[in-house]
Amino acid sequence: MPKSNFILIEQSYIIRKGLISLIEKIPNTQVISQIDNIKDIDNIQNYDPDFIIINSNLIDKDVSDYLSKNLENVQVISLSKDHNTSFSEINWIENILLNETQNSILKKINKLIGNRISNMPQRYTPDEISEREADILRNIALGYSNKEIADKLFISTHTVVTHRKNITRKLGIKTVPGLTIYAILNKLIDLGDTK
Amino acid sequence: MIITKEVKMADLIHMNYFALSVLNRFGIELGFGDKSVEEVCKQNNVDLGFFLDIVNTFVDQDYFPKKHLQTFPVKLITDYLQITHNDYNDSNVPEIEELIEKMVDSNQTQKDNIVLLKKFFNEYKEELQNHINREEEVVFPYAHAIEDAFNSNKIDKSVIELMQNYSIEVFQNEHDNIEEKLFDLKNIIIKYLPQPKDVKLCKKLLHELFSLEQDLNDHARIEEKVLVPKIREMEEIIHKRFSEETKNA
Ligand SMILES: [Fe+2]
Ligand SMILES: [Fe+2]
Repeated sequence: MPKSNFILIEQSYIIRKGLISLIEKIPNTQVISQIDNIKDIDNIQNYDPDFIIINSNLIDKDVSDYLSKNLENVQVISLSKDHNTSFSEINWIENILLNETQNSILKKINKLIGNRISNMPQRYTPDEISEREADILRNIALGYSNKEIADKLFISTHTVVTHRKNITRKLGIKTVPGLTIYAILNKLIDLGDTK
Repeated sequence: MIITKEVKMADLIHMNYFALSVLNRFGIELGFGDKSVEEVCKQNNVDLGFFLDIVNTFVDQDYFPKKHLQTFPVKLITDYLQITHNDYNDSNVPEIEELIEKMVDSNQTQKDNIVLLKKFFNEYKEELQNHINREEEVVFPYAHAIEDAFNSNKIDKSVIELMQNYSIEVFQNEHDNIEEKLFDLKNIIIKYLPQPKDVKLCKKLLHELFSLEQDLNDHARIEEKVLVPKIREMEEIIHKRFSEETKNA
């Protein structure tokens, strides 16, 4: 799976560290650069980020113009103290509040990553099942439990169970070892990945 | 269709040729001409009522034998189940292993995939072995003890204790569905495995898997529909007799 790259633009050391530890909880993500001074924003050009998380206080007309000129494919997530902070200058895709819970932030980021990945054409999904089901199946084949899969994908265990039922019905394969073979034959996972 | 004693043995085989393996286990060989089921059983010293129950369970998934107690002894059932277990270990499983091994050798291009099947079947084999061991070490001896008690004049207290520690209900509940993995293996080969070079081998393997699956299904039905109800009925009668005997003592 391709990695999702993040750049953080935020003055506060503590907030940056907090964000990094949060983001890196999510599989296949990394923070490739941190900028603590908006004057260094040119540094961004050295990287190829998928997401920028930026403190909304730092956004003025210049920054906004700069970002929209230089980074077409980047999605901007704003970081603000509360809903009233103005950040209308920039076309942001998601807003994170400083007092938000871990779960809520993780959910937002996961959703963005999920959208990004499912928009990528090169990703392989077998004909028989949907992309979401392929995600679940991949995790089943890797040996994760329903609960673990639910936590990883930020859905309820009940939803995982429903997906599993559908996968089994569509493929005609009931057991975990059977599903694992299917996943390997269809290159959803590598043989070496299995527990 | 229910097989009755008047049905010709040859017709039974025409109807469902997998039933040949059942005949085999009773020591009945082919060449019975136009003889009926009853005649062939008599000739081979096979208990007719038991044979009919086994064969009907085999050909009809929904068949449910009725009169448990009047007919054959428990030992007859467990002996039959035991022979079937031996068949799996000595014949069905090695046969399938051999075919998979041949496929590994003849399919250099997708060796990895076939090795995967092999690994899968090995796991299955182990599961089957555990299943069989549990029945032979726990369930069958228990069934024999219950039958002995049932046939004795006086119910011994030790039998009651035995029944408190284990009952056929426990077996009924823990008896797992051992055919599921086979079903998966079949489906993977039919639907998802890239066609191997040697198609004949692959078809043979499928045939063996189908026949083992059907046989296991039938075997489980005999355990659950013939053995379990019979033992359960005996357990109830033993309990009743014991409480009457202690009341009168
Ligand atoms: Fe058995
Ligand atoms: Fe069994």
